[in-house]
Parts: sequence; C-alpha cells; structure tokens
Amino acid sequence: MKRFIFAFVAAYIFIFLWGWLLNGVVLKDIYAQTPNLWRPQSEMMSLFHWIIIGQGLVVFSFVMIYASGFAGGGVIAGIQLGVLLEIAAIGMRMGFYAVQPFPGKLILYGSVSGIIEMIIVGAIVGAIYKPGPVKAVS
Amino acid sequence: MNWTKFFVAFIAAFGFIFLFGFLWYGKLMHGAHQEVPTLWRTEADFGNHFSSLVFGHIVMALFLTLLCARFVPAGGAGACAVLGLLVALIYAGADMITFAVQPLTTKILCGWIVGDLIQFTIAGAIIGALYKAAPANSMFVKERPR
Repeated sequence: MKRFIFAFVAAYIFIFLWGWLLNGVVLKDIYAQTPNLWRPQSEMMSLFHWIIIGQGLVVFSFVMIYASGFAGGGVIAGIQLGVLLEIAAIGMRMGFYAVQPFPGKLILYGSVSGIIEMIIVGAIVGAIYKPGPVKAVS
Repeated sequence: MNWTKFFVAFIAAFGFIFLFGFLWYGKLMHGAHQEVPTLWRTEADFGNHFSSLVFGHIVMALFLTLLCARFVPAGGAGACAVLGLLVALIYAGADMITFAVQPLTTKILCGWIVGDLIQFTIAGAIIGALYKAAPANSMFVKERPR
C-alpha cells in the first residue's frame, strides 16, 4: 500500500508538471488559434479543481491497472502499459478530432507528447511499485 | 497469443464500441451537445472527417483487446470488465480535464463519464468472454496483500 501511494504521488506530480509545461507553455500558441473552443483564462482558473481531480483519477487508475496485472515486470512492464493506454487514448483523440474542429497539429503534438508522457509515467510507476511476495495457490 | 480468438474479440469490441458510441453520444446526447453548437463541426465537415472517427474506434478497440490479452491471459468476462472499468476511469479523468478547459455543460460531462463507464466495462466483458489465451500460457498466482 505504501508503494502504491508513493507511485501515485510521484506519477501525479510528473503529470501535473508535464500538463502545465505542455498545455500552458509549449502549445499555447496553437490553442490560441481556436479561441472559441476554449474557456476564457479566468473561467478555467475557477474550474481548476476539475483538472486536479481529473489528473488524480487518471493516475490512480493507471497505478491500479499496473498493480493488478503488470506489477512484477518493473519499468519495462510500466512502459508497456503506458504505451498501450496512450495508443488507445490516441484513438479517442481521433474520435474527438472527427467531431470538433481542432487544428490537426494539436492532435499530432498532443499524441506525440502523450506517448512520451505515458512512457515516463509507466517508468515511474514501474520503478516505484513492487508487488509483495508471491504465494502459489494449490 | 491465440490470434483467432484475439481477432474475433477485437471485431466484437469494435462493433460494440462503435454502435454504443453512435447511440449514446450521437443520438441520446444529441440535444445536450446542441446546447454548445460552436464546439462541434458542421454536418458536412463531420462527414469529411468520418474516417478519423472510424479509425479512432478501430485503434481503441484494438488496444483495449491487446490490454485485456496482456492483463488477463486466461480471459473471463468479469476480470476484463474490471479492466474495462479502470480504463473508463482514465477516460473519465480526461473528460473532467476537458470540462475545465472547454465550455462544456455539466450535463455533457456527466453524459460522457457515464457513457465511458458503460462502454468500456461492457467492451471489456465482451473481450473477456471471447478471448482465451492458449492453455500453455496460462498461469495463476496470488499476490499476498501488503
């Protein structure tokens, strides 16, 4: 349980900083091309707790999946899980692209950065979370 | 990996995800989506991007099937439904982040979250019911709680 919490906190801190750096700094100009799709800055800040809760839910679910079926494989298994989940998320992103007028490069940059992000998250979780001693069931 | 069963599970998952998405997001939530019309493409523009929607669903179904095959090699509807639920929680988290940055209504957020939970839990159950790894690959170990 202690390692679960450590893995969660470490991955959460990374995702929070990565999200801020990517969306708040690097992709800022691309977001500005479609202002009608986004809330004004002040409104976003008033709903900031949704970002905190949402990121927490993403990281919690990731660590749960890792702990339930991938633990024991270490960093490599964590990276595998991150890549599988992110490619599925790219599918979801393409679905959104079909219905919302996002610029194509926002989807491309978001997907590439998403892969990098989830590889690092997987590596963090895989490095920190270790399963307990295995007991054979007869 | 049992590729025949994998392929059958993938096709069934894709069929379900696509059909559910059409009914839930396209029909049932159509009115809620129309409350914020500026967020969506026009009908004609959507038609031009329809291939992205189909390809996106193929990718989602394929990687959910891969995840189930890796996560629960022995298959089983219950275990894969739990995995589908956990995957849905990741998407629910992403929906909450989207709600904070895009002018969606609370009704849309709730609809998307409920839709994700139903869609991926059932898709996981379908995959788990259809996919079974070759017996030689199966193993059963129990992790001691810490």
